[in-house]
Parts: sequence; C-alpha cells; structure tokens
Amino acid sequence: MRGNVLAIAVQLSGLVLAPLLPGVIQTIKARLQGRVGTSPLQPYRDLRRLWGKRSVAPYDSTYVYRLAPSLSAAALACAVLVVPIGASTIGWLGSDMLVPIGLLALARFSTAAAAWDPGGGFSLMAAGRDLMFSVFAEPLLLLAFVLVAIGSHSTDLVQMVAAAGDPHVATLPAHWCAALAFGLVVLVETGRQPIDNPDTHLELTMVHEGPLLEYAGRDLAMLQWTAAARHWLMLVLAVTFFVPMPAPVPWNLLTLALGVAGLCALVALVETSLAKMRILRVPVLLGAGVAICMIGLASWIAQGAL
Amino acid sequence: MGGGRPTGSHAEVHADEADIRSAPPDDWRDAVADLLSRGYTFGSLHATGAPDAVELRAAFIRNGGFQMVTCRPADRHAPTIVDLVPAADWDEREAADLSGLVFDGRLTRPLLKHPGQLEQWTTTVRGRDTHQVAVGPIHAGIIESGHFRFHVVGERILRVDLQLFYKHRGLERAAVGRELSEALGFAQRACAACAVTNSVAYAHACEQALGLVPSSDLARARTVLLELERLYNHLNDVGAACAGVGFSPGSMVFAALKERAQRVNQALTGHRFLFNTVQVTRSDLEVNPQSARAARVELREIRAAAEDAWREVLFHGSVQNRFAGVGVVTAANAITLGMVGPVARASGVGGDTRCASPRLVYAGFKSATPLDPGGDVRARVEMRALELPATFDLLDTLLEGGLGRAASEPAGEPVATGMAAVESPRGRTFCTIERSGPAITRLRLRTSSYANWPAVALAATDNLLPEFPLINKSFELCYACCDR
Repeated sequence: MRGNVLAIAVQLSGLVLAPLLPGVIQTIKARLQGRVGTSPLQPYRDLRRLWGKRSVAPYDSTYVYRLAPSLSAAALACAVLVVPIGASTIGWLGSDMLVPIGLLALARFSTAAAAWDPGGGFSLMAAGRDLMFSVFAEPLLLLAFVLVAIGSHSTDLVQMVAAAGDPHVATLPAHWCAALAFGLVVLVETGRQPIDNPDTHLELTMVHEGPLLEYAGRDLAMLQWTAAARHWLMLVLAVTFFVPMPAPVPWNLLTLALGVAGLCALVALVETSLAKMRILRVPVLLGAGVAICMIGLASWIAQGAL
Repeated sequence: MGGGRPTGSHAEVHADEADIRSAPPDDWRDAVADLLSRGYTFGSLHATGAPDAVELRAAFIRNGGFQMVTCRPADRHAPTIVDLVPAADWDEREAADLSGLVFDGRLTRPLLKHPGQLEQWTTTVRGRDTHQVAVGPIHAGIIESGHFRFHVVGERILRVDLQLFYKHRGLERAAVGRELSEALGFAQRACAACAVTNSVAYAHACEQALGLVPSSDLARARTVLLELERLYNHLNDVGAACAGVGFSPGSMVFAALKERAQRVNQALTGHRFLFNTVQVTRSDLEVNPQSARAARVELREIRAAAEDAWREVLFHGSVQNRFAGVGVVTAANAITLGMVGPVARASGVGGDTRCASPRLVYAGFKSATPLDPGGDVRARVEMRALELPATFDLLDTLLEGGLGRAASEPAGEPVATGMAAVESPRGRTFCTIERSGPAITRLRLRTSSYANWPAVALAATDNLLPEFPLINKSFELCYACCDR
C-alpha cells in the first residue's frame, strides 16, 4: 500500500463503480436525443439479470472460449487496481505504466481467441477489426504514456500522476499532445462513436460487440463488466493525467469525480453529434494521433529532456 | 362533402388504354422486342391458367397506357425474354417455380423454392483469401426473413447473393375464386408500408377490367391516401439512413416526425397504416372539413420541422461523409435492372408513374430531379427529402374542404383482364388481375420492392462489408412484398 487509505478505498471501489459510467453516458445520450432514457443504474440491473442466468456455449467450443470472460474480467480488475487514485495505490501488482497496457492487450487477446474458437462469422469479423484497430491504438496509448513519463522521469504511475499534478505541466506542449492522443485512445478502448457504435444491432458493423454475440448469462455479465471497467480505467487515467488535481486527498477525489462525470458528458456529446466513421478511416485517425505524439516527443527533445 | 375540384378532362382519363394480344411461342420474343422498340417498359410477367394449359403473360407500360402480350408455351417450354428484359429475371424464375414452366435459353435458378445446396443459388467465388459471410434469415433487429450470402476478401464485398421469399403466404392463390371487392384484402396485406399503393393498384386494375373510371372525387380521395403513405414512408426512410450510420439525433427527429405523420393518418382515416381505406369501385372515406383543416395545419408544421431536420442532416459532415460515394448504382445498370422509384431517380433514371396517372389527381405533376444523380446512398436519401415538398403541396391542395364518399363511373366495355401501375413510396407497383364474371381467376402484384431488390445486391458489390446495412437502408425495401 502506498498513500492515503481513503484514496485506496476509492481505487478498490472502482471495481463496483465501473458500470455506473456507461450507465451515466447512456442516460446523458438519451437526454441529448430528446428521450427519457434509462436510469444510470441500468447496467447494474442488467448485470444482476445476467448473473442469474445459465451460461450457454456454442457446440464445438473449447476452454479457450469458456475461459475468455473470466480472463478478460480478471485482467481488467487487475488493471483497475494498478491505476493509482489520489497518487495512492494498493500496490498488489505494482504500478508500472506498462502493466495496464499489457493487461488491456491480454483482455483483447482472450476475447479475440474466443472468437476464433467456435469460428462464428460475426464474432470473427468483429474481433479481426478490433485487432486491426489495436495495432494503431496500442502504440498510441504507449506513446501518450511515454510523453507523460518523460516529464516525471519515471514509468511508475504514482510518480507520473504526481508529476502531472504539477501546475507547471500546463505550459508543456508535450502534455497537451499527450492529452489529445489520449482522448482518441479513450474512444477506441471504450468502443464509442465515431469509432464504434455501442448501441447497434447491425452485426456487420460491429467491433467491440461482435465477439460478445454468442455469450450468455454469467459469461456475458463478466464481459459487460469488462467493458464497463474499460470505461473506468480510461476515464480515470484521462482525468488524473490531464486535469489539474489538488494534492489534498478529499479535494483530489472530488476533482476526480467531477472530472469523470464531465468526461462522461463529453463522450455522450461526441457520440451524439458525430456519426460513426467509415471503418477504414479509423486507422488514419489513430495515425494522426501518433503524429501528434511525435510532435510532443519532438517538443521534449527541443526542451532538452531527452 | 368533397369540394369537387376539376381534375383534368375525361379525354385524359381515357388515356390508360389496355391492349392485349396473343403471340405463338415462336413469335413471343419478337412481340416483346417490338413493344420495347416502341418505347414500352416492362411492367410485369406472370404465368396463369390451369396446370395443363399454362399461359405466359407479360405486361408493358408507356405513358400510362398498357400493352399485354400472351403466349401459350408448347409442352411447358417457353423461350426466355430475360436477355431482352433483364428486369423479368425474377418474374420468370417465379413462374418456373409456381407453374412448372421451363424457360429455354437461360439458367433458371429457383427463387421461391429454396434449394438446400449452396451451389444451386450462390455464385462460386474462388481465389486467395476469399470467404463467405452468411447473414440471416434471422436478424438481430425486428426485420423480416432474408438471407444474404456475402463473398468477401477482407472487408471488401465481391458479390452478394440474396435469398428472400422465406414466408410464401400464397396470397395471390388465396384470392382466386373470391369476388373482386373481397379479394382486395389479399392485395392490401402483401405489405403494410405500401398497403394503400397495393390496394389502389388492385382497385384500378379491377375498375379497368370492369370498364369503369374513377370520378374526380374518388381519384382525389385515393391520391390523398397515396401521398399520406408516401409521407410517412419517406420520413421513416431518411431516419433509417441516419440510424444506419449511428447518427441518433437524425434518426430520433425523423422517427418523431414519422409518428406525427402516422397520427395524422389515424385522425383522418382511423388507421395509422391507412389499412382498409380503399374500396373497389368506390371510396367510403369521409373527412369532414374540420378534421381536414386540422390535418392541413399539422402537415404544415411537420413540413417546417422536416425541412429543418433535413437541413441538419444535409450539412452534417460526419453523416455526409458516410453517405457519399457508397453503394453506387450507375444509370445504365438502373435501366438494365428495371429499377423504379426514388432510388432509380437517384441514379438519374426518370420515370415517375405519377407523371402519367390518368386515374389519379396528378395533373401537371413534375417529379423531383436530384441535384447530383450519383446513384449512391447520398443521392438515394436526398431523393426522399426532395420528393417531400411535392407531397406536402399535393396534400395541402387536395385536403381542402375535406373528402366525401365517391364512386367510379362507367366509361367502356368490361373486359377479362385489368392492369394498373401506381407509384408507391418505393416506386412503381404493378398489378394485374384476371377475372371470370365477378370472381378473380388470377391476381399478380409486382411491387416496387420486388423490382428493386436485385439492385441492392448490385449496389453492395465492391463496397465494404460494414457499409452493407447502410446501403440496404438507403433502399429500405420490403421483404413481405416477396412473401406474397
């Protein structure tokens, strides 16, 4: 354990609070579209309903398919516990910035492998697209992290967060480049428009939803929780790195809560105001993100940090 | 009572002459070629008669006038006309499946009878990395049954094979033997979204066979119903295209407008889908001046709101990016496939049945022309929006003073066969009836969806697989129209 007990308690409660974020986004989206919409607690109701149901697996599927939900849920649970809150972390799995990247990749790998196992057309297609996106999204995430890490001279997330809390970072071009790139990563990882449409029923257009099509019951509940945990992970990271946070823990936590809520509203706004983009334009957009990171890197070099 | 507006002279009403002549099997192709060379376009083809004496009948249309050629195939073998009229492909396959005819000179794949083997209805695609993606017949949304077999390389569609006709209801067969007015229901229920078009096409065909023409009040009532149907369908189709790219503000606004239009339907006729509003030889629809006035006020508000909403969609970059250049059907292909309706006009191929509809109130009607007939999703969606002003204008004019009961008037000799073409929201719907006394002996309804489905497969070719739902929605065709 490193840091404040209250902050660590919030970090642990992330496992429970995560489904609130997609719920809030859906509610705001519905309001923006002129609908009443569901309550922000709807994801919890869905999880409870699914948890009470039996899991069904396709004929011919092996342990690769059956293991995927628990493996991805476990990977995301670990990732949530690695990301520090209020510069404090429970520290069971360390706090290196490469750990969440690896865990996200593990979760992605397990669902992609599970799509290949029974070989359903829609799941395979969607998993293929997800992997294609990740070819561009993973380096982008890494680059955004690196830009922040250079400033703190450490790849330890606790130190990176502490460095990002310094008001001085707002004057660094690299920091803004990282924020821009990270915004793109948030949209890819959470499967939000304009990259992916989480509300679609059109199988042919699916990316993140596709590999989930065959799952049912508890397996589906775990995968839906995984998707929610991805929202938590990305939005919390975005706020802790790129929103100026006061050091005292209660104020820090309040800023975090407000920041995450604000980002939820922003995601809902982006999703409502933009149509989903053509699938082969996504790599171009992510490539632009990489270019922005390179500019950030160049600015570090210009400042003599490297 | 209706206002009794002047709706064109009687000479105009008589313009829909119908001529029928028979040709021996050897001259069948020549007779068809002759009609085509005289500027007639293909309307419909069907087989009729007892199993031992099947007769083939092809109907053609030009400027609201009909020509029919019939032929009695010897020994169930008929020469194909599909090389002359590619649009008759499905018609011939349907005739082969339902009447056991054999068409010489073509590969006749089954249409209604689904073969078990994939090779019998899909095109074999060979090559490195090609694979098939099967979609349907059960879909995730609330859609009718249809199976799409995609041959793809990566995300690119090489070819789509459609298998529709899953729920053949035998509507046309069930109508046989019933009285003309009673059989109307079978034509109407072929499809909910085109219920009025189907009914009016059937009623016109019956009235033509009975030697009747609609009075101006009857024509007015039916035109109002047709335009009400077009209105809610077009509003729905624009919203559906927005939903296809995940642009929820657009789909929500247009869904709400469609709901308002359907409430106008409910208020005027007592049915949101305008069911049972059309009768053969007469119209029982009564709209008092007060409700007509209220409907006109509401329609004006819908018009203003629809124009605002369309402007938002038209100038929304991320939506137009998805629409432009996707699912292109060239004008040449549209003509070859016999495409009809707004989707054909979006490819620059004219032909709005409303321009020559002597039995309806479309005097002086000019069909909307696209600004840029690219034949892509953008043009097809835009076509719906461009057609709305004419519909609003017509409704505003024709609803003035309300509608009253009306009947058709005798105008000629009764005949055995009647033909009619009516412009549905999706294009020209063709109806042919044959009767013996007061009873139907053959009903054939060839809807606009039936005419346009092959074009969907063509439009999808060479596009990306995730674009297919959008391309499909830009046509927004009906599966039930196949399941007659």
